[in-house]
Amino acid sequence: MILDKLRLDGKVAVVTGAGRGLGRAMALALAEAGADIVAAARTLSQIEETAQQVRATGRRCIAVPTDVTDSTQVNAMVEKAIAEFGRIDILVNNAGGATAGYGVDLQFISDEDWRVGIDTNLTSAFYCTRAVLPHLLKQDGGKIINTASGFGLRGARNNWTYVAAKAGLINFTRSLALTYAENNIQANCIAPGLFPHTEEMARYWRGGQFIPMGRLGRAEELGPLVVFLASPLSDHMTGETIVIDGGGLADGQVPVGLTPVIPL
Amino acid sequence: MVTKRFELSGKAALVLGGATALGRAIGVALAEAGADVALTFCAVNRQEEVAVNSAVNEVWALGRKGFAAAIDVTDAAQVEAIVRRAADELGRLDILVNNPDLPFAKPLAETTLDEWQRVLTANLSAVFFACRAAAAVMLAQGKGRVINATSILGERGVINSTAYCAAKAGVVNFTRALALEWAQTGVTVNGIGVGFLEDVPGIGQDESLKAALEKYLPLRRLGRSPEMAGLVVYLASDAAEFITGQTIFVEGGALAHV
Repeated sequence: MILDKLRLDGKVAVVTGAGRGLGRAMALALAEAGADIVAAARTLSQIEETAQQVRATGRRCIAVPTDVTDSTQVNAMVEKAIAEFGRIDILVNNAGGATAGYGVDLQFISDEDWRVGIDTNLTSAFYCTRAVLPHLLKQDGGKIINTASGFGLRGARNNWTYVAAKAGLINFTRSLALTYAENNIQANCIAPGLFPHTEEMARYWRGGQFIPMGRLGRAEELGPLVVFLASPLSDHMTGETIVIDGGGLADGQVPVGLTPVIPL
Repeated sequence: MVTKRFELSGKAALVLGGATALGRAIGVALAEAGADVALTFCAVNRQEEVAVNSAVNEVWALGRKGFAAAIDVTDAAQVEAIVRRAADELGRLDILVNNPDLPFAKPLAETTLDEWQRVLTANLSAVFFACRAAAAVMLAQGKGRVINATSILGERGVINSTAYCAAKAGVVNFTRALALEWAQTGVTVNGIGVGFLEDVPGIGQDESLKAALEKYLPLRRLGRSPEMAGLVVYLASDAAEFITGQTIFVEGGALAHV
């Protein structure tokens, strides 16, 4: 039966940025579908909380504090995952952040802003993928799911490192898809629209009233999508970027609510 | 439970162009996920009739309701009638899958106005007819899913296929624009873009074309219709409520190429 193919029992997923927001929601959804979880992020208390919630679903989970911009720490995290579970089937490169140099005129973006922005959002995915890849190849397949962004497909005023890194991540994913297609490894991106993980962010985004659907995304809406992309149901999809944004990117430059009527 | 959110129990679907290998795979998958399913086929094609009836039998064998109806998708009145009939016979209409497909390949200089219009009407206007008809049902119930099947030829060009490429690209932007128009109605509008399928007549049987494609495709093989169905089930379900205006391609990585 087709929905049985969504089950991930016996599989192991590494989720970076799993301490809060989308990463935590994705880790929980993968666990609900049957996968054991390696939760990685910098802040131990946050991934411990994620791990507790995963364990409450009946799955196993280890919380591994990791700075994904440091390849030594990434390699150690993957070794720990293998030591604990013996395999990795799913890698979710979700760690990232938009704050480095955000809103600053390009003239005043420092070398450090640029480096941090690119490292956090792009280099991190390279480090994690490089470390996990040998295990996927050995097991004859696996799934790589990268969290990109609508900002990887469109530009934004005074948004430099994030747009460049996320666009880079999308095209990095395409090359992964092509290179390892015959190894039964599928690599895809999720490009979420605006998903606040604090009340403050929801207020800053005015509740999403400027989004065509009229609301912001809810973290739990990412769950089914990540499960679909981690499951055999999506085995023929690779190199794709799936935008989940309430219609935001279908829009052009015409403000929401403007509805022209021009008779012939 | 996250997998529960993909279930389609209690929902009803209409698949336009339901007799092709892709249409049948989609119809049966929707039924497997719990939906009742109506499928349309082309009246003049005896092979389509046999194929669609076996798909309807599979729908019933899964414990779901279903029927097949012969229509001409280029006739707006017939498309409107089948949308109404599906809603009446199945008791509701939650999912509309537009999968009309009229393949056509010819140099542009030799393409007649009649051919151009037939290709545009069957591949693009049919989607307009069906969506306009479904609006009456779906906007009134404040919920619905429209899924327009298109092709990688709606995203990339290919020689001797200008009319077909234009029509399929038209579906992609039709999908975006209608998604916006209906964004606050509870009805989402998305597309699936299919790659080269081995069970499409004309590709699967043409050995030299097949061999050339196998060299080009990242997976070194053509796609199979059932491999498209999972995405349709996801987009048709409550799990995909926040996705609209997107055409998602299932093509084994073909579009990732330069």
